[in-house]
Amino acid sequence: MKGSLVGAVIGREWRTRVFKKSFLLGTLLMPFLGVGFIALTVMLTEGTETQNLVLVEDTPGLITRMDAASGQFVPRCPGCFPKRDKLEYRFTREAPADSVWKLDGYTALVEFDESVLQNKAGYLVYETSPGMQAKRRIERDLSHAMEHARVLESTELDWTEYQRLKFELNLVDREASDAGSRTEGGGEEIRGFVGFMFSAVLFLVLAVYGGLILRSVVEEKSNRVVEVLIASVRPEELLLGKVVGMGAVALTQIVAWSVLSTAAFTLFQFVFDSGLMPGNMAPGAGEVPADLLTVMAENEFTKILIEINWALMVFSTVVYFVGGYLLYGSLYAVVGASVQSEQEGQGMVFPLIMPLMFAYFFGLQAIENPEMAAFSWLSWFPLTSPVIMLIRVAVGVPMWELALSVALLLLTARFMLWMAGRAYRHGVLAGDSTSGWKLLLQWVRGNGG
Amino acid sequence: MTHALRISELRKTFGQQQVLDGVGFEVPQGSIMGLLGPNGAGKSTLIRSIMGIVEPDSGTIELNGTLWSRDAVRGIGYLPEERGLYRDMKVGEQAIYFARLKGMERADAVRELKVWFERLEVDGWWDKKVSDISKGMAQKIQFICTLVHKPELLILDEPLSGFDPINARRIIEEVRSLAASGTSILLSTHDMPSVERLCDAVVLIDRGQVVLSGGADELRETGWAGEQEVVFRGNDIAFTNALGALAHLDGIQSDSVEGTRKASIRLRNREQPGDVLHALAEAVDIVEFVKVRPTMESLFIQAVSGTSSTETTP
Repeated sequence: MKGSLVGAVIGREWRTRVFKKSFLLGTLLMPFLGVGFIALTVMLTEGTETQNLVLVEDTPGLITRMDAASGQFVPRCPGCFPKRDKLEYRFTREAPADSVWKLDGYTALVEFDESVLQNKAGYLVYETSPGMQAKRRIERDLSHAMEHARVLESTELDWTEYQRLKFELNLVDREASDAGSRTEGGGEEIRGFVGFMFSAVLFLVLAVYGGLILRSVVEEKSNRVVEVLIASVRPEELLLGKVVGMGAVALTQIVAWSVLSTAAFTLFQFVFDSGLMPGNMAPGAGEVPADLLTVMAENEFTKILIEINWALMVFSTVVYFVGGYLLYGSLYAVVGASVQSEQEGQGMVFPLIMPLMFAYFFGLQAIENPEMAAFSWLSWFPLTSPVIMLIRVAVGVPMWELALSVALLLLTARFMLWMAGRAYRHGVLAGDSTSGWKLLLQWVRGNGG
Repeated sequence: MTHALRISELRKTFGQQQVLDGVGFEVPQGSIMGLLGPNGAGKSTLIRSIMGIVEPDSGTIELNGTLWSRDAVRGIGYLPEERGLYRDMKVGEQAIYFARLKGMERADAVRELKVWFERLEVDGWWDKKVSDISKGMAQKIQFICTLVHKPELLILDEPLSGFDPINARRIIEEVRSLAASGTSILLSTHDMPSVERLCDAVVLIDRGQVVLSGGADELRETGWAGEQEVVFRGNDIAFTNALGALAHLDGIQSDSVEGTRKASIRLRNREQPGDVLHALAEAVDIVEFVKVRPTMESLFIQAVSGTSSTETTP
């Protein structure tokens, strides 16, 4: 096999795609769109939270008392209403009409009566919604205050003693290895979800770039370029150059996305932490703005993003991409060589990528139970491992299993590439009279040479 | 003598159809060999077999005296009948790519291509995409891609198709020039005038078999069936009587030259044109007595379907 010729094919495949405007635009824009999405989420969480002044109408006097010094109702449990930047409370026994409290500058009114201790329900009245986050905080603060009231009413304990005796068991996960050591465990669901996100991206990249190989082979066949190429390069060399070249394009995109995303996120973090972002200005002199990671940890979605072991996941994704891509890319190329049109090829590709699709949907189920036996088997099986193993890597997988899975995948990919080279040769050199499955069957029966 | 290409007993079957049935011929070095045949005769399969695109069932192909190998094929310049270029690729980059697949270094490829682009007046199209250029321009570019690596053997399948008469003449000149500099050329075409103008020898294939082969002049000489054209002044009856049993008269008509008559005759014994000329000269005043050799087209038609036409050759 002539390296320089394969190199020339790889170079052409890479150059013609990487220097396309659409590729450059997509590669440059995607990371900034991704970080922009995170920024938007953070800003929606932080920046758009409005100042709320809530009037609590405590008609039965469950949680408030009259403070003689100030002449105002104050909470019986001051600690139940912690000081918050954008949420303040005032208390009353009887609220004025809606039009009046609104004129007085209140943004919402909380109403409840004696039955609140039984039915645990009250009303939040407002003209404009204070937002989900503010509502959750109001519910939490008032629940706390009600609990305080119930403790005082029904037990001999004082609140401080109750708080001391109150018990909530927190089980911290630890995984015991065969070697006798224990490592931090738990959070499988979130980590499984993270792994699934990576495998979903990998699935998409495999499908998209596989499709590009198919299109490219069909194009060369239909515009007869292949006849000139085969006169210079062995079909096997052409296939290898094409698959590797296109894979190099995908890797270029993955690496560019990783580098640019890191750069964009670092820039965003710097701007955010400096207090230059709207919604994260320093509240007052001497106070510091919130730092990005703390803010992200408070949000369920962004919390996942900071919990990802990016280095491990990107590395694993690249390894499984290489193996999975060589395997499936070869199949796409064989299909491309066997058909007369891209449309015909798409129909043929579907059954071939069924294992990958099955792995994708199975992965969704496996997030909740990553330790099931079938999950392990599928993470070793080369046709499904690129998608399944990424979920296991995120959750945590023994090294020997990872090594076995990668070795099996790469060996199968190598074998498939060799087989594909022969099938490709048969397909690409066949006339126009036979195509599709019939052509492949012909080759399988031994007429392919 | 070492031949640029020697084919022996080549056979190829597709399903039940025998496409090549023991084809054999040679292309001497530095010559232009015309590969002729009706549609479906097996020419494309033969060429594709030489290029390794089709694997023959049996037979041998030798290139420069050595048995066929993929490396040897890489040295051939091949212009397929159905041209193919990447539409979305720039012309220059594409030409460099094809040259590199033929083993050229990038820098050498650029240098040689620039010379050829200038020579065929397509240098202004280097940075254009193939989709933006005319069909004729694309044909020229593919022609350049075929020979930029200075092949010793060129296989051209219908090289003039798609060219206007001026550019076709230009390509013919280039092909002649390449042959003069020692390049061996196998030229497959249906364009008989270009065969007449270019080819030193021809091989005619029909139904997968060689039905005619040899030097172009030799074939026309061999195919000559005694046709002569006679321009004379005198009486038609005297002319006919003088022909007697020596030749068959196909017809007489007035010639464009005033007062002369032109007769087409066929000698009964093609070995004795002098005897016929002598007999006629005694009866009429002979202005011209020329041999009419068959055209390539007539040889082609005769070989394939058994009919014939001729062309005057002084």
